Amino acid sequence: MQTAESRPGHTPLLEARRLSKDYGDTRALDSLDLTIAPGEVYCLLGPNGAGKTTTINLFLGFVAPSGGQALVSGLDVATHDRETKQRLAYIPEQVMLYRNLSGLENLEYFAALGGKGSLGRERLTEILVEAGLERDAVDRRVSEYSKGMRQKVGIAIAIAKEADALLLDEPTSGLDPKASNEFSALVERLRNRGVAVLMATHDLFRAKDTGTRVGIMRYGRLVTELSTDEIGHADLERIYLQHMHD
Amino acid sequence: MTVRTVLRNEWRLLMADQALRIVLGLFAVLLVYALANGVVWLRFQERTVEAVESGNVERTSALQQELDAIANGGQPSSPFADPRSPLVLGGPGGSHTAVLEPGSLTALAVGQSDLLPYYYDVNIYTNESSFQQNGEVENPLNLMVGRFDLAFVVVYLLPLLVLALSFNVLSEEREQGTLALTLSQPVSARSVVTAKLAFRALLVVGMVLAMSLLGILVTGGLDSPGRVLLWCATVVTYSLFWFALAAWVNTLRRSSAWNATVLVGAWLVLVVVLPAAINIAAGVLHPLPSRIEMITAQRDASNDAVNRRSELLARYLEDHPEMAEGVVADEPGLGALAWAATDAVNRRLEQVTSEHDAQRAHQIILVRRYRFLSPALLAQDVLIDAAGTGDARFVHFQSQVRAFAEEWREFFVPAVLADEQMSASVLPNVPRFRLADERPGEAARRAAVPLTVLGGLVLLVGIGAGVGLRRVRGAG
Repeated sequence: MQTAESRPGHTPLLEARRLSKDYGDTRALDSLDLTIAPGEVYCLLGPNGAGKTTTINLFLGFVAPSGGQALVSGLDVATHDRETKQRLAYIPEQVMLYRNLSGLENLEYFAALGGKGSLGRERLTEILVEAGLERDAVDRRVSEYSKGMRQKVGIAIAIAKEADALLLDEPTSGLDPKASNEFSALVERLRNRGVAVLMATHDLFRAKDTGTRVGIMRYGRLVTELSTDEIGHADLERIYLQHMHD
Repeated sequence: MTVRTVLRNEWRLLMADQALRIVLGLFAVLLVYALANGVVWLRFQERTVEAVESGNVERTSALQQELDAIANGGQPSSPFADPRSPLVLGGPGGSHTAVLEPGSLTALAVGQSDLLPYYYDVNIYTNESSFQQNGEVENPLNLMVGRFDLAFVVVYLLPLLVLALSFNVLSEEREQGTLALTLSQPVSARSVVTAKLAFRALLVVGMVLAMSLLGILVTGGLDSPGRVLLWCATVVTYSLFWFALAAWVNTLRRSSAWNATVLVGAWLVLVVVLPAAINIAAGVLHPLPSRIEMITAQRDASNDAVNRRSELLARYLEDHPEMAEGVVADEPGLGALAWAATDAVNRRLEQVTSEHDAQRAHQIILVRRYRFLSPALLAQDVLIDAAGTGDARFVHFQSQVRAFAEEWREFFVPAVLADEQMSASVLPNVPRFRLADERPGEAARRAAVPLTVLGGLVLLVGIGAGVGLRRVRGAG
């Protein structure tokens, strides 16, 4: 199995070191060790409550770890909140935007918050189009957008921000197959630009198709890690179910 | 960068939200109406003051003419109003009206100027009841409610607008899901929420201050820059209190509906219930004596005094030898006897009114002590004081009128006792009232404590909000 650490010259962009999180008496994440290098798409699989979203929230600094460290480009999220967020982009399951503003205005706002304040209308439109949005939709109010269109604005925010790492939490959940494919293609393009991607998903097919590595989680623990080059779709499903029934 | 970005976004959101635009438009209309109301009241006062002052001149001129005519062999217009009599020349017919010019910011805050008299006819008969006649002595609630002027809008309605704009400043972001995307950027919740509130504060406070400055410009209040500054500082501090409160409630991580309920409850308690309770408590604990009793006492004293005029005159001369100056005739004239009776009535009235004044003073002390429980009371107190329509300026005016009335008596009473006849030559020497208005900075000195307390509350609630915002993260 090839990991980021084993690849010469690749410093991990995302790294978890014995990362743990407790909510009261419940251990949501248990000593997670994880490294994701530039150009890698790491898919976290597992049932609800396995710790996938908690992992993403820890990398975003949305929750404080109970133990261990979440590192972005070698910087501890707990002590370098601003610096690590400058390198990250995040797309939740539902990209929620300001409904009364257009896609372009939303992008301008979030890109400016992300530190890209003066991209200009033309460049922002190009980014939205690059993210797959129709040109005539960029000035429409987001309240008229479908979920897929909002996800594309989310991708556009990541592109505009020129993030080093992308955190995706169930990004294709609820999307139709065409929209899911388009989304995967966008992720693929970002991966080719050297962006490190951590994606939490239930979609085994998408994980095998888009990911370079897959980690299966259960009860807050990473129970196995696989390279997608080495397994087929059927193998992944079998291994996944096997771990769920253990 | 964050602030500018958020401000721009908030402006776009405002422009895209019709309901918000309507609310702000309505508030602007109320501001215009309140200012117009204040300007109308100010113009009315100005016209009254002008009429009163020209009345002084006309009365003096008429007396001068009549005295000149009598000196040239003419007859008085009425045997009962002979201006040569000091009781007539110094009485209601020759009275001088002492006037308090409207406060420099009266158009912004009518304050006490519609409750307390701003002019008094001073003559030899002026006594304590003269100071009670136009006063609203039994309705302390009026002190709180007041007219629909800018001060009313600031104290009562501005908090509602602040809360309407800010009750969901953070909770809505969480509920609509934009908070996670926002906080995944290299910004803190504190800086974003502060910028969002700053936008609202600029909008609301900007509207109020712009309307205030417009009113000040229109009515020429700029000659009191200290009062203008005090007014503006109070508006800003009071608004900040409500913004800080909304921010703090938002950090409690409850729903927007919960925030709205709690904040409206806070408005109700701090702006309506507490001030009303304090005023009611003042009325119950220190009730004012009945005005009917006061009038009855005045009549009794008057009847009694008329029956004992000679006795009273002897007593008066014992008490006031300086007034007689040894010129009182062995057989005192009718004027001297009448004055003795008047003085006796005045003394009786002083007893009755002193009880009233003491009770009112107790009420004011109680209200002043407990006003610190309500930011609304603090703000209102400072606003009307800044406008020059507060209690203190009227008390200052009344004390000068009392001194002037004493000066007036000292001028005319010796002549009454000596049964002298007066001529036109005395007119230039008759006392004239000249108001020595409060020194600049007096209102600021009085406002120092309430404004500091209000600022302290802003700081306290603001720190609470700041601490709460530090804990806000994108998840949960």
